[in-house]
Amino acid sequence: MLEALVYGAIAALISGTVLPLLYRSKNTRKTSFGLSLLSSILLLGFAGALLYTGKEPVFPPIRYLPGLDFTLVADRLSAGFILLIAAVVPGVSIYSVEYVEHAKSEAGKNLQTALTNLFILAMLMVVLAGNMVIFLIFWEIMSLSSLLLVLHDYSSEENKKAGFFYFVMTNISTAFLFVGFISLFRLTGSADFGPLEYSASELALPFLSLFIGFGVKAGLVPFHKWLPYAHPAAPSSVSALMSGVMLKVAVYGFLRFLLSVFTPELWWGVLIITAGSLSALFGVIYALKENDIKRLLAYSSIENIGIIFTGIGLYVIFKVEGLESLALLSLAGACFHAFNHALFKSLLFLCAGSIVHATGTRKIEAFGGLVKTMPATTALFMIGSVSIAALPPTNGFAGELLLYQAFFQSFAVTDPLLTVFLITALSSFALTGALAAALFVKLFGITCLALPRSEKSRLAEEVQKPMLIGPAVPAALCILAGLFSKQLLSFAGWEIEFPDLLLLGLLLGLIYAALFLIIRSKETSPARISETWGCGIPTLAPHMEYSSAGFSEPLVMIFKNIYRTKIVHKAEYHDKQESLFKNGNVEIRLLRFFEEYLYIPPARAIESFSKYVSSLQNGKLDSYILYAFLAVIVLIIATGGFV
Amino acid sequence: MNTSFLLFALLNPLFALLAAPLYMALIRKVKAYAQGRRGPSLFQVYYDLRKLLQKEAVYSPTSSWIMRFTPYLNLSTLLVCSLFVPLVFVPEPAGGIGNIIVFLYLLALERFFTALGGLDAGSAFGGMGSSRSMSLAAVIEPTMVVAFAALAFVLKSLNLHQMFALNAGTILPISPTLVLVSISLFIILIVETGRLPVDNPATHLELTMINEAMILEQTGTNLALLELAHALKQFLLMGILINTILPVGLSTEIDAGKIAVSAFLFLLKAGLLAIIIGLFESALAKMRLFRLPAFYVMAFFFSALTILIEVFA
Amino acid sequence: MIDPLFLEGIIKVLFVFVLISAGLIISTRNLSSALTTYTIQSFLLAAVSFLLYLIDGKGQLLLLACLTLASKVILIPYFVSRIEEKIKIGRDLHFAYLEPTPSLLLSIGLILLSYTFLSRVFEGLPLSKLFFFGAVIGLSLTLMGMLVMFSRKKVVTKALGYLSMENGVLMFGLFVTELPFIIEVLIILDLIILVLLTTILAVGMDSSIEEYRQKFRELQIWTGVESR
Repeated sequence: MLEALVYGAIAALISGTVLPLLYRSKNTRKTSFGLSLLSSILLLGFAGALLYTGKEPVFPPIRYLPGLDFTLVADRLSAGFILLIAAVVPGVSIYSVEYVEHAKSEAGKNLQTALTNLFILAMLMVVLAGNMVIFLIFWEIMSLSSLLLVLHDYSSEENKKAGFFYFVMTNISTAFLFVGFISLFRLTGSADFGPLEYSASELALPFLSLFIGFGVKAGLVPFHKWLPYAHPAAPSSVSALMSGVMLKVAVYGFLRFLLSVFTPELWWGVLIITAGSLSALFGVIYALKENDIKRLLAYSSIENIGIIFTGIGLYVIFKVEGLESLALLSLAGACFHAFNHALFKSLLFLCAGSIVHATGTRKIEAFGGLVKTMPATTALFMIGSVSIAALPPTNGFAGELLLYQAFFQSFAVTDPLLTVFLITALSSFALTGALAAALFVKLFGITCLALPRSEKSRLAEEVQKPMLIGPAVPAALCILAGLFSKQLLSFAGWEIEFPDLLLLGLLLGLIYAALFLIIRSKETSPARISETWGCGIPTLAPHMEYSSAGFSEPLVMIFKNIYRTKIVHKAEYHDKQESLFKNGNVEIRLLRFFEEYLYIPPARAIESFSKYVSSLQNGKLDSYILYAFLAVIVLIIATGGFV
Repeated sequence: MNTSFLLFALLNPLFALLAAPLYMALIRKVKAYAQGRRGPSLFQVYYDLRKLLQKEAVYSPTSSWIMRFTPYLNLSTLLVCSLFVPLVFVPEPAGGIGNIIVFLYLLALERFFTALGGLDAGSAFGGMGSSRSMSLAAVIEPTMVVAFAALAFVLKSLNLHQMFALNAGTILPISPTLVLVSISLFIILIVETGRLPVDNPATHLELTMINEAMILEQTGTNLALLELAHALKQFLLMGILINTILPVGLSTEIDAGKIAVSAFLFLLKAGLLAIIIGLFESALAKMRLFRLPAFYVMAFFFSALTILIEVFA
Repeated sequence: MIDPLFLEGIIKVLFVFVLISAGLIISTRNLSSALTTYTIQSFLLAAVSFLLYLIDGKGQLLLLACLTLASKVILIPYFVSRIEEKIKIGRDLHFAYLEPTPSLLLSIGLILLSYTFLSRVFEGLPLSKLFFFGAVIGLSLTLMGMLVMFSRKKVVTKALGYLSMENGVLMFGLFVTELPFIIEVLIILDLIILVLLTTILAVGMDSSIEEYRQKFRELQIWTGVESR
């Protein structure tokens, strides 16, 4: 019975992919997105039933190669992530119905529709994959379909660069996964996900390569650089899927291996928490400086992935220390935060897409006053911001609360040095949380409040209905998942001591209503409208307002060692003594630390190596035959046991 | 939900709401005496609130619903917060009310909307206030969380009610480490309520104000609600500090006499603390904005050491 | 008789204050408050040794407390404050290598380092947790004193760093080695000589003897009023 739901969803997604390739019309595209909506409803039923009953369905394997089966497996972990996919997809599909119509060409619209469906299908299949080969096949399909979506507007130079960057990084990820899979395969001789019993030293290589492989895809620092490039280039609905779901699929892959294949070690946990905390901190610190709305959201995704990995690392540490209940708490925190991040980040990306569509720019400094011109989008954006800033009673808070509870009880760990490590991680976690709140005050405040900062923003118009209903779905889910977090967790089988946010939300709402009614009923004189006070200036102008860069300036000053700003002077003078100033400029440049120190050197090395290799390829037939001859000789020597 | 908690839910917020403005006035009075003035009456804050509540609100044409929404939200958040800190007696815990992390994040909710309210009118002062307030809040957050984690660790619970139930009934705190935690809490109290040397609550000098800058555009009823919320926040943080360091007299059972004693003693203890805060403020000058992170790091050093000591020794 | 557990609790609290005072010496920019902090630190040490006397009942500890009180709380701070008055420098704003904020964070690292180091060294020794931690504090205090010495430019602050370092040695001695009393006395004598030397350094190393006399006369150090 349950299996049928999955097959139905797969069938719907396949037809959603094929249809738009066959017929080019608006109705086909609508049908196609309808099909993805349908699939997500089916998946919702499937994942819900599986989580509630805990009964795992059996998928009969399809043999297509001797020794390797096309197997699907769904357990509680995959059910959790299927639920995540099913929660994000409806909003995105409804939104896309309208959004995809803004693409330039008719063919482009259909291609985007088809690829979106394929992308969703691939992510679903990765989560369902029953062995490493299937996993890798759909992993590649997922990467390629998203790559094509990033490249949808391939005419612009910036997008080409972003696409290339993404392509390289995603291949690095796959390469590391390959290494990990092969080294596991060598140990066991099987491609299934099954528990391993090997010594720690043998497992170090597979663990590290899988950690890096999944880390690149999830956007952990220092492998995060593709995110801020790919997201602004991709259409917003795709950004929502990539940030909301694809990064979580990488998290799923990592968890799948961690939970069902490996027996973790203590240093793994320390490594994971360190990477997670650094990602969270760097993500939010870079986001604060950012002035491009989609890039800012991309950095904030890095931050949230960092939080999720912190939770996973906590799980490993508590597991090794034998604190089962705390381990469960942190694992629940990590998974729940992944789910929540999928919701609010897709919501924010969809809203950002609407804002960018309405104003025609991605610059935060050019927005402002949208609360007047786009009230509905702004309200949705507000829900997303409150949720991502982890404020009660939304779901963003519920996820972080679980992790905080795990942290606060972590002093049960007996090793003092580990305790110190955990305190450090806790402080960094707290700092991240508070910085995220500052970040979203900035984003929402500068984007939506006060006077419009540009003509485009002043003339912005509210978007069409589907583009409002789309984000409204995750927005509603954000609030509901927050209020019913306790119930949701116990529904998913996690019996955890957890404050009832429903009670809290009700209390807040009731007190608010009571207060409002009391004050309003006693009100004697009506409110007056009068100019903002500005030290006596006649009228307020947009350029007098606090700007995005101005808002984050104090934090930039405080964390100046991390930003590593460089001040560059350039000046020309009329005379040699440099006293008569002709012209010049001063710029404050952000040193792109990771790019300049970590990415460019190996890129240069590879470039020079490829130049060398290409010099071998001179196009002469004779030399190619020589290469073949040499290769054969080497092979004979190697296999013949001469060496 | 049990009767004990329902009674608490009625009494505690009411007590906090009525008593909170008194201590704003008391601190002002102490500062005035320290400066050789007589200062306004102890009931001045109540008079101010009454006057503001009767005045109409003035909105800027630039502002939006955020400005109208924030004051109500802030006061209701703080009223919910007042359920978290037992002042009159410690009830039996119910439904996760009293969770220390939820308390911290309710304060964050209040801060978030105050900052948005500051940006709403488009005034440069408001923007400056929001920017500074959020930045400084971010830097103090690790200290706050670590101090509260230390409190939770020493008193062996995540719930403020359970913590103080453990601590209640003794004259002195149950563990000497609590003395250290209290010092951290004192610093947090100073920082969170925007007092010297972090922010000057008495100033309207545009370049030095932080909290005042954010609520500069708020008027009439709305301003009254915000002021009340601020007073409540200060009172609750004082409550946590007092229950930690000087729990004497805090009742754990429902008994009219004991509750009255508990409330009366609390008023006295809060008075003492307010005098200390007033003197502390009088003794210090405001710090430069970018000198503050160093001060916060010192506070962090302190609360981290507290945990280190508790774990190691 | 007071409950020893309670006393140990108080000693723990004092430990934190000792470390905080070291942190303040690292971060303060005001010379006179650095001196006050040092005085308080020494007073805390005297208090710790007095409390230990209450627990252990060894007369030596009481004597040590008195000696510390006399020399480090009264005598040396008096001398240094005289220097500060004379050289007319109120503040030390210059830092080498490390600013106060990173050095505070580094000090937490130093405490951890000494903890790990000592837990390796004392492995297997029957040392109570309190005493072990005292040793850790002592060692970290020494290291933090050294940190002050290299990160400050002014000689007076350097001297204060050295004094705070010596406090660390005393602390370490109190809890672990039970330094013979005579050595402790010698160290304190050393300190007093050091302060005298600092006076000379503070006044100027590059000066010739004649100029020294001149300067001493101008600054009225030691020679007092009568040389006028």
